[in-house]
Amino acid sequence: MDELFGQLVELFEVESLDSNDNLVDLDMWDSLTQLSIIALAEENYGITVSAAELRDAQTIGGVIGLFEHKKKSRV
Amino acid sequence: MSLKFTFRNKRISGILTVLPKREIPFEDEMAHYNFPPAKSLKLKLAMGYNKHRIVEAGTNVSDLCVYGINYLLDEGLLEKDDISALVLVTQSPEHFLPPTSNIIQGKLGLHTDVLCMDINQGCAGFIIGLLQAYMLLEQESIKKVLLLNADVLSQKISKRDRNSNPLAGDAATVTVVERSLEATVIQSVLNMDGKRAYVLQIPAGGFKLPSGPETAEMKEDENGNFRSLDNLVMKGDEVFNFAQKEVPPMIEDLLEISGKKAGDIDFYFFHQPNKFMLHKLADKIGVPREKMPANIVENFGNASGATIPVAVSFNLGADALASTYEVCFAGFGVGLTWAAIQQELGKLKFNQIIYY
Repeated sequence: MDELFGQLVELFEVESLDSNDNLVDLDMWDSLTQLSIIALAEENYGITVSAAELRDAQTIGGVIGLFEHKKKSRV
Repeated sequence: MSLKFTFRNKRISGILTVLPKREIPFEDEMAHYNFPPAKSLKLKLAMGYNKHRIVEAGTNVSDLCVYGINYLLDEGLLEKDDISALVLVTQSPEHFLPPTSNIIQGKLGLHTDVLCMDINQGCAGFIIGLLQAYMLLEQESIKKVLLLNADVLSQKISKRDRNSNPLAGDAATVTVVERSLEATVIQSVLNMDGKRAYVLQIPAGGFKLPSGPETAEMKEDENGNFRSLDNLVMKGDEVFNFAQKEVPPMIEDLLEISGKKAGDIDFYFFHQPNKFMLHKLADKIGVPREKMPANIVENFGNASGATIPVAVSFNLGADALASTYEVCFAGFGVGLTWAAIQQELGKLKFNQIIYY
């Protein structure tokens, strides 16, 4: 999931991210970034995530956990 | 697994697009949104928003349609007596009753031996309308069907909704559909899923929840957009995921039925939700982005079922009078509905844009 971490750093346009970072505290956390993460999930990981699931994930670590969970339940 | 249709010896013989003269740049409306301008400008770039065409208050679907049809009659591009049916696809009817297509017939002074039909469909409205037109043409008595895709839904969109307002557009298109002297084969596939009917909706204003002071109350959603129950509301993330999941396999299905490879198709004229979604679809289907025009939202806005013919008028213009193309039309959205048609398109009598 290091790859996803790097992709999130890029999407949030920051130098670095911490697993504990709260999504709502990040300046780029908006509907466009949400859509970009949804598209990333679909394109690069073959999983479907919704905006509500991303909001519920609350933190960067939560988003990564959500991706992992979705990938597992896909197989 | 799709519902399939095959039609023979029929064609589209002309497409006319009627757009409102009024054009609004994205920047002019940014102050309505509850977001910093820099963020709105970033959204503009990513989604391909720029400017959109919106009718003046009081302009309705029949005004745009009658203007367009009268233009064709005046220019000698259409004969009144050849019109056997008006198939109007709209989600902005003028009244619950009578049907708006009957109002159009009356305004044009057509004879009584004309079938008028309103169809309530949105993003896939061009496909659904074409299917209806081709079915009607199985009857010998039907000479030409005028397929009218017209919507003025901008009136139902909150100006403070950055989720929907920047991409909204109003338009009407007149597509003439008739029998072909040449042997043509038209293939179509269709799916609907009413379990997801509320992904795109206008909650109030119908019989179930009539409009009133309570439904007009503006409320903020979790993203900071303001809208009321009288406004159109779209779950953008669900629409995106729906289109990415359902459309590519549908196109694959259609090409297999048509006996064509993706590269055999000259143009993929798809519904125009935004540039972002269309580019992702082109990539996923595996066709070059230039074969799938995505420039309608940035130039005119998304006018629901009219976007496909608008894209044909804008991108092919007079080239479609001389040349013939293998095309794939696809619509997806409200309903949810997703449907596509593969056919030849060309040697049109007219294919242009006029302004109302």
